[in-house]
Amino acid sequence: MNTKILSGLRVLDFTRVMAGPYATRMLADSGAEVIKIQSKKSATGADSNPSRYFSMWNRNKRSITLDMDYPEARELFLRLTALSDVIFENFSPRVMTNWGLQYKKLKDVKSDLIMVSMSGMGQTGPWKDFVAFGPTIQALSGITYLSSFNKDTPMGLGFAYADVVAGLYAILAVLGALEYRDRTGTGSYIDLSEYEAVCTLLGPALLDTLINQREVLPQGNYSEHIPAAPYGCYRCAGEDRWCVIAIFNETEWQALLKIMGSPEWAYEERFSTLPKRKENTKGLDRFLEQWTAHYEDKELVNRLQEAGIPAGVVQNASDLAKDPQLLARDYFVRLHHPVLGDIISDASPIKLAGGTRVDWKAAPLLGEDNRYVYLELLGLTEKELSSYIKRGVVG
Amino acid sequence: MKAADKNDSLLQGIRVLDVADEKASFCSKLLADMGASVIKVEKPGGDASRNIGPFLNNTPHPERSLFFFYHNTNKRGITLNIEHNSGRDIFCRLLKKTDVLVETFPPGYLKGLGLDFEVLRDINPRLILASVTSFGQNGPRKHYQSCDLVASAMGGQMYVSGSPSTSPLKPFGEQSYYASSLFAAIGVLLALQKRRKSGTGEHIDISLQEAVTSTLEHVMIRYFYDYTISTRQGSLYWNHEFCIVPCKDGFIRITLFQQWKTLVEWLDSEDMAGDLMDNKWADEEYRLKHLDRIVEVVKRWTKTHTMSELFEIGQLMGFPWAPISSPREAVESPQLKERGFFVPVDHPEFQKYTDYPGLPYQFTSPMVKQWRRAPLIGEDNIRVFQGELGLSKKEIKKLTSEGAI
Repeated sequence: MNTKILSGLRVLDFTRVMAGPYATRMLADSGAEVIKIQSKKSATGADSNPSRYFSMWNRNKRSITLDMDYPEARELFLRLTALSDVIFENFSPRVMTNWGLQYKKLKDVKSDLIMVSMSGMGQTGPWKDFVAFGPTIQALSGITYLSSFNKDTPMGLGFAYADVVAGLYAILAVLGALEYRDRTGTGSYIDLSEYEAVCTLLGPALLDTLINQREVLPQGNYSEHIPAAPYGCYRCAGEDRWCVIAIFNETEWQALLKIMGSPEWAYEERFSTLPKRKENTKGLDRFLEQWTAHYEDKELVNRLQEAGIPAGVVQNASDLAKDPQLLARDYFVRLHHPVLGDIISDASPIKLAGGTRVDWKAAPLLGEDNRYVYLELLGLTEKELSSYIKRGVVG
Repeated sequence: MKAADKNDSLLQGIRVLDVADEKASFCSKLLADMGASVIKVEKPGGDASRNIGPFLNNTPHPERSLFFFYHNTNKRGITLNIEHNSGRDIFCRLLKKTDVLVETFPPGYLKGLGLDFEVLRDINPRLILASVTSFGQNGPRKHYQSCDLVASAMGGQMYVSGSPSTSPLKPFGEQSYYASSLFAAIGVLLALQKRRKSGTGEHIDISLQEAVTSTLEHVMIRYFYDYTISTRQGSLYWNHEFCIVPCKDGFIRITLFQQWKTLVEWLDSEDMAGDLMDNKWADEEYRLKHLDRIVEVVKRWTKTHTMSELFEIGQLMGFPWAPISSPREAVESPQLKERGFFVPVDHPEFQKYTDYPGLPYQFTSPMVKQWRRAPLIGEDNIRVFQGELGLSKKEIKKLTSEGAI
């Protein structure tokens, strides 16, 4: 029961690369039947089924092939829609309409359909046709500008955060729409903008700009708004090893002094209170780093944490893969893929006390579920299916 | 099932109690913005997150925190000391009428108050408890302290952000809290689906660290594939697809490999292609090996243009480029304006209406109708305690003097 919260929910997944597949993956993990609609033409690069990228974001899903360039493929799609609850798509705006498959048309065959269109900019507005990937959106939203040490050397994040955020909002919207449908019998169309999704995560900075007319500048790891000092990232012993330390109150400061062996500098007047330490952050950080640089990061962080101080190792991928806390909570899951062999992937960070999924299935091969979907669900005959395959409609 | 009326909204009728601090106040905001009825429960005197800036007119005050404003739109607010006996009784009475409780206490804290999930479930078997904590409810580090900085470091975002010549860099803002809140809100809606079938509630356990690790996109995939450890590369994207170059008036994020021919022809038409028109550059392998040279030539060219020239012309040619926009440029974006992303929120105490960042989607089904600003401290005490729980004025007065509310 617990492992299949969404059993009975059928989702057609017309999305590619990351944001969309990330969203439908969580629905699939929760027991929904997610059918990826692919074609030989589209299943290339990051969307090629045996690629590591594809396999990461498409576990627990089914795959069929359907080449939408054929009018008959669109007919088949409509028939599938009639049997489905939710449709995800992340084409550029116009594509679905050009195929005659806009929400209004799809609703004719499934009156309480929930459909989400995920795009960079949204389906409307002067920039609606602009091409955007995660890093594009991050640049536009302001998070790249703000995640830098100063405004003259913008850096931003080293991963496509925007795609994850858009994916999470898409699931949230669909589950909200499902709640609404279950209560009122009415479907929903959702036009999600990845650009706006990232902007919602910069709320306080945008409000500061809108209300106070302030120029919000990048400040690296420092933040004038966080009532903590020290608050930063410090070098530790070893090659490219770092820790973070955050001191929010006097108790934590005293605990830190004790661990450092009460060095003389720490008793200087300019470091005597939190506001003063905050004012003299640069000097404080220099002293602190001279101390942290002598220690191995994990050992130091453990000592600090034992004393009740918020501190952490700046973990890289290898640290994460071996992290005892993540492992104790079964954060990683091993799946067997018929081509790639054993692959390790992240489970869901949404842990339910009632239990989480156990019967994981690796990402599907291209068209792996053609027979199930076309014969069992749609009720085509063997003859009809082979004719579609021969003509490339299913292909 | 009843028919939708126009006053209905997506999560109409879902009652949420929010006793969360800044780690998950965004979770119940997400639910409130979708139409759930959310009561923020603060300790008497107000939640500590009211002390987090920025502040209105840069004046620190618990009723002027823009951080608090943003994370608590569309909620009502009461004060209640749940460590106080009679406060706890009232809390339990509220729980009977609650679908979702969002909390961020350290693991074991609620148990210490005699309010662990088993007890809460006895009070209300349909209750969904969403717990957002530093490292989760179990495991060797469950009692470790965290904050956005620690979560970002331990979760793996920092190591891959920044440049080789700088320290690791934390993403701007409280991104670990946002990621956790998004996961928690999704967990709540999943639990509601489950409850629809089973009739019983659920305990959702979210770890800040895990939420962060779940946003790393390529990082763990590459590691588990061939043990590659992703590192910091400044503005250069891990697969070298994107980099940031200067313009006349700022910076722009461009691609170096997409539509190579179109790109060099564009440069050449302005006599800025250098030797990039040479045949050897047609080979992608060669380009990857001599990336520095390409960046050098391209930079010389981008510096002769403004951000918006490159952005708009580039986009017309299908390049996924974008200016490195400041918050000022974001709030002035014609795209966001045209889509009505910013919504007016009334702050009668200060000025008439102020624009807030709104929802990232247009929905055919109704969301919250008229946005309400975050509650003042204890603003809805009377309405909730008297109106909903039926306490008398005298009882409320007594509880207030005891420090329970």
